[in-house]
Amino acid sequence: MKVLVTGGSSLLGRTVANLLVARGEDVICFQRSASGSNAVDVFGDIRDRAELFAAADGVDAVVHLAALVAPKAPWVDMVAINVEGTRNALNAAVAGGRFVYISSPSVAFHDQASVGVGALTADYSGRDGYARSKALAENVVRSESSISTVILRPHLVWGPGDTQLIGRIVDRARSGKLVLPDGGRALVDTTYLDDAAAGLVAGLDHCVADDEATTRSLVITGGEPRPLRDLVSSILEAAGIERMPRSVPAPVASLLGSLIDRVWPGSEPPLTHFAARQLSVAHWFDQRETRRILGWEPTVGLDEGFARLRAAFAISGDSRHT
Amino acid sequence: MVGIERPNAADVEWSILDTGVGELGTVVCVHGNPTWGYLWKGFLETLSPEWRVIAVDQTGMGWSERSAPRTLETRVAELVAFCEQHTSGPLVLAAHDWGGPVALGAVASLDVQAVILGNTGVGLPERTPMPPLISTARRFVDLTCRRSSVFVSGTAAMTEKRHREALRAPYQSAERRVAVADFVADIPISEKDVSWNALQKSANTLSNLDVPLLLVWGGRDRVFHDRFLADLLQRAPHAAVHRFPQAAHLVPLDEPMAAIASTWLRNVLGPKPAVEQSARNSPSSDSFVPMTRGLLSRSNDDDAAFTDRNGAVSWKSLAHEATDIARMLVRAGLSVGDRVAMLVPPGSDLLAASFGVWLAGGVLVVADSGLGARGLRTVLRGANSKWVFGTSKTLTAAKALGWTPGARMICTSRFPHAVSLTTHRSSTSIDLPELRPEFEAAVVHTSGSTGPAKPVRYRHGALAAQRDVIVESFTMSAEQGFLTSFAPFILLGPALGVPCVLPDIDVTKPAELDFDRFARVIESSQVDVAWLSPASARRIVETANGRTIELRLVMLAGAPISTHLASSIALVTGADVRSPWGMTEAMPITDGVGATTSVVDGTNTGKPLAGAQVMVLSLDNSAPHSLPNGEWGELAVHAPWMFDGYDQQWGTEHHSEFIVKGQRFHRTGDLGLVDTNGDLHQLGRLQHALFMATRTVPSVLVEDPISTELGRLVAAVGIGPVGTQVIAVVVQTEGKLRLASAEVTAKVRQCSVFEIAAVLEGELPVDIRHQSKIKREVLAVTASEFLAGR
Repeated sequence: MKVLVTGGSSLLGRTVANLLVARGEDVICFQRSASGSNAVDVFGDIRDRAELFAAADGVDAVVHLAALVAPKAPWVDMVAINVEGTRNALNAAVAGGRFVYISSPSVAFHDQASVGVGALTADYSGRDGYARSKALAENVVRSESSISTVILRPHLVWGPGDTQLIGRIVDRARSGKLVLPDGGRALVDTTYLDDAAAGLVAGLDHCVADDEATTRSLVITGGEPRPLRDLVSSILEAAGIERMPRSVPAPVASLLGSLIDRVWPGSEPPLTHFAARQLSVAHWFDQRETRRILGWEPTVGLDEGFARLRAAFAISGDSRHT
Repeated sequence: MVGIERPNAADVEWSILDTGVGELGTVVCVHGNPTWGYLWKGFLETLSPEWRVIAVDQTGMGWSERSAPRTLETRVAELVAFCEQHTSGPLVLAAHDWGGPVALGAVASLDVQAVILGNTGVGLPERTPMPPLISTARRFVDLTCRRSSVFVSGTAAMTEKRHREALRAPYQSAERRVAVADFVADIPISEKDVSWNALQKSANTLSNLDVPLLLVWGGRDRVFHDRFLADLLQRAPHAAVHRFPQAAHLVPLDEPMAAIASTWLRNVLGPKPAVEQSARNSPSSDSFVPMTRGLLSRSNDDDAAFTDRNGAVSWKSLAHEATDIARMLVRAGLSVGDRVAMLVPPGSDLLAASFGVWLAGGVLVVADSGLGARGLRTVLRGANSKWVFGTSKTLTAAKALGWTPGARMICTSRFPHAVSLTTHRSSTSIDLPELRPEFEAAVVHTSGSTGPAKPVRYRHGALAAQRDVIVESFTMSAEQGFLTSFAPFILLGPALGVPCVLPDIDVTKPAELDFDRFARVIESSQVDVAWLSPASARRIVETANGRTIELRLVMLAGAPISTHLASSIALVTGADVRSPWGMTEAMPITDGVGATTSVVDGTNTGKPLAGAQVMVLSLDNSAPHSLPNGEWGELAVHAPWMFDGYDQQWGTEHHSEFIVKGQRFHRTGDLGLVDTNGDLHQLGRLQHALFMATRTVPSVLVEDPISTELGRLVAAVGIGPVGTQVIAVVVQTEGKLRLASAEVTAKVRQCSVFEIAAVLEGELPVDIRHQSKIKREVLAVTASEFLAGR
C-alpha cells in the first residue's frame, strides 16, 4: 500500500510514518522540512495544491496530520492551513479513496470537564483558533461521502523527543515558571506516542468502505487518566527535576489566560485562556467504542512510557535532543 | 398523534393524544383539573408500543371543545361513550386528581382489565378537613380559576420548569378557563350538591372493584394527601401501592409512574402471576408462638427484665404494664392491624408500650432518630399510622412538625386530646385478641445509610421465627442477659424472655460506649452476651488499655467488620466473637463464625443458619441461579424470618424479589461470595462496586489490600459513568478532600493490582446509625467533583 503522510515532521507524523514503513508500506512524507523518518520525504506546503497533488500521485491512502498548532496564529492562517489544507489533502486522497484525518478532542471542548465521555460533536466555536479551525475541518471531512474517511482525535500525545508538551513542561519547571491550576487535581488522560501511532495505523486499516470506523469520530487515548499533578511530577521525575510546580487557583489561571490573550503580541503566548481551562478541568474519555471499532489497545501505557522517557532523558540530558 | 374524536356522537369534540395500536390493549388516561393530556407524557412514551395509549382532554379542558358546564355524571357518561366507540380489546384506565372519580365512575359501565390511579380521592376521608387549597379555590372560584390564572399557574408550578409552559398552554384566557372553574364548582362536598350521588357511585365502584388496582402516590401532595391514600386503601385493600415520599401532586409527570405501571401491568395481566401469596412466609398456626409469649411467660418473675440508666424493671411489672396498655388501647378503639407510630425513646416505657401494642393486635411503626428529622417525618407520614404513641415531648414535636397527621395520640403521661397511660388504668374485663402468624406486626425502616430509608413490613410469623433462630443459633439463656448498643434490639429481650441491658449512651452515638461504661454494665448486671455496633466495639477496644472483661458471646452487626476489630474485641472480652450477616429485611442470615479468621476478601460472616438460603447471583441480569463457590455476585436470601415486603413500595419490592421453587428470595444489594468452606464473605454494596470498562469489581476488593498496607481506613470509589469508570482511592485523614502526597500515592499504586487513577486524602463520610458504613455514594460524588476540576 502506498500511503501519503502529511505533517511528517511532527513527532506523531514521523512515528506513524516509521510504523508504516516498518510494516512494509510504501510511505511518502509531505511537509516543508525534513521529517526525520524512514520514509521518502517530499517537500511542500499543504496550501499548495499542485505540490500536494504531485506528492499524492498514485497513493492509496492519505493520513493527514499537517496542521498549524500555534495558539495565537492569525485566523486567516488557521483557515488556510487547518481548514483549506485539510480540504486539499482530502481532494488529493480522492483517487486512492481512503483518507484518515487526525483531529483533536479540543474540537468538542466546551469549557467544562470531559468525564468518561465519547467523541462528542465537533462544534467548538470559542476563542481558540486551533480548536475552532480543527472543528471546521472535521466537518469538511465528515461531509465528504465519495471516499472512505476516518476521523481520529488523539488526546495529549507525549513521548521522548516531544518538544510540545514534555518540552514546555520541562523548560518551565526548570525556570520555576510552571504552575498548576488548583494543584493539578483535574483528572487527565494522555496517550503515549507509540500507542497513538498504533491507533492511527489501526484507523488507516479500518478506513475502508462500510467499516464502522468511517461513520463516527473516535477519540484515541491511553485510558489511564491521572490527576494532572501526578502526570507532571512523573515527567519532571523522568527529566531529573526536583522542583515541583506551584499551585494557583483555577479561576486565577483562567483570568491570567484571558489577560494574556488580549495583550500578548506574539503567536506563542506563555498561557492562553483556553489552555488554562484545559488544564483546570478533567479530560478523559470512554474508550470502549474506539477499542471495539478499531480493534486497537494501548500496549505501552503510562508506567512503561515514563520509563522510556526517563531513559531518553538519561541519554540526552534533555528531551529536545533525543 | 393528535386526534379529534367525538366521545358522545351528538355533542362535543375531544382532543386526544393517541400513540396508535398496541398489541396488549389500550390504556385510556384521564387527567384532572386543571391539567390535560400532557400530564400523561410518560405513559405515552413508556407504555407504547406494547400498549395503545390514549390521553384524552376532558370536555372543556385542554384542547377539547368548550361547552356548557359538565357534571361528574356527564363526564363519566362521556368517558364511557369514548371508550366504547374508540377502543377495542383489553382496556385499562389510568387517572389522576379529579379524573379519578370520572374514571372510576366509568369502570362500572365498562369491561376494564385494570385501573391505575395517581393522587386522587373519592370523597373526604373521615376526620379530615377540606384541604385549604380546595376550599379557597371553591370560595373564590371565579376569581382564582377563571378570571385569573392563579389555579392553573399554581398547579403548573408544582412540577419541573420544563413542563410548566405545556401545562398552562390550553388555559391562556378567561374564556379558555371556564371549565376549570366549573370543574371546581362541581366538586361535591355535601349531599345537596348535584354531583354528590355520582361521587358516591364512583366510591362504591372502588369499594367493589374486582380488577387489579395500582395506586402511585406522591407523599407531598397538599390536596390529595396521605389520608386520601389511606381512605382509598380502606375501600380497596387489594391495591398495589407505590408511594414516592418526596413527590408532590403531579406524580405522573414527576416520577417514573409509567415505568412502574408498565411493570405492574405485565405482572398482573401477563401469563406469569405475581409472587404468590403462598410464597410469603406464614408458618403454620399450630407451631406459632407469638413474640409476646416470652414476656408473658415470666409475668410472675421479680427478676430484672430490662435495665438502663433509669434502673431495672422486673418481668412482672413489665408484663403487667404491657397488658394494661393493651387493654387500654383496645378499649380506646384500637383494632387488629391498626398501625401505631412509636415515638417513645428506647427504655422500659418503649418495651411496655411496644408489647402493649402487640398484645392489642396493633402494628409497631418503628423509626428511630438515627434517620434524622427529615427522614423521620418522611417515614412516619408514609406509614399511615392510625395512632401515635409518644411522650408529651415527642407528641408535641409530632404535632408541630406534622409527622402523623390525623393519627390518634397515646401518651405515656398527660397530653391534650391524647389517650393517657396515667389515667386509663386497667379493667380486666377486656379481652385481648389472639395473635396469628399472618397478622402484620411491625413496619421498621432501613437505616438509610445505603440509600433512602425503606419501610420494611414484618408479620408476626416471621418475627416469631426470627426469635426462634436467635435462641437456637446463639443459645441465649433466660438467666444470663445481653447488652446491646442498638436501641431497637431491646425489643428482642422480652420476646426471647432474656434480660436485656441498654448502656447509658445516646442511641445515635454508638461510639460513646467506651470500655468503662461497657464494663460497668457487665459487672452490675448478669450479662454474658453483647450485641455491638462496630463503632462501639472499636471504642471499647481503644479505651481498654490492657484491661479485660469477660463475656461468653459478642455479636458484631453492621458490616463491614474487619478481622482486626473482631480479634481485638475477642482479646478484650475472651468471648466467642461473631459477625453474622443480615439486614433490616432478614436478620440474621449467617452464624457469624469466622469473624476473627483472617481473610483477604471482605468480611467472613460464617455459614447460613439452618432454614436460611443464600444465592450468589451474577450481575448480568440472567435468570436467577447461584454462581459456583469462589465467584462473587449479588447476594439473595430466603429465610422463614424474612420481611413480608416493602410497605407501599410496589416497584421497589417487585425489583427486589424473585421466586425459585416456590420460595421467595430477596435481592439484598450486597455483594459477596461463598468460599470453598461454605463460608459467606460479604463484599460491600452493589451500588459501591466499581463499574470499569473491562470488569466490575467490589470496592472492598480494591480497598482491603491498601487498607492493610497503609494501616488506615480507605475507600475506593468509581469516577465517571458506569461502564467506563476509573478508580479513586480516598485515604482517611482529617480535613477536606485533597490529592494525597506523592509518597502515599506511590504506596497505594504499588500495593494495588488495580489501576488507580487518583489517590486522595480526606474525611470519609459515615452513616449516623452505625458510624461505620462509609457512604461511598456520597464520597463518589465529592471525589468526582474534585477530580473534574473547576
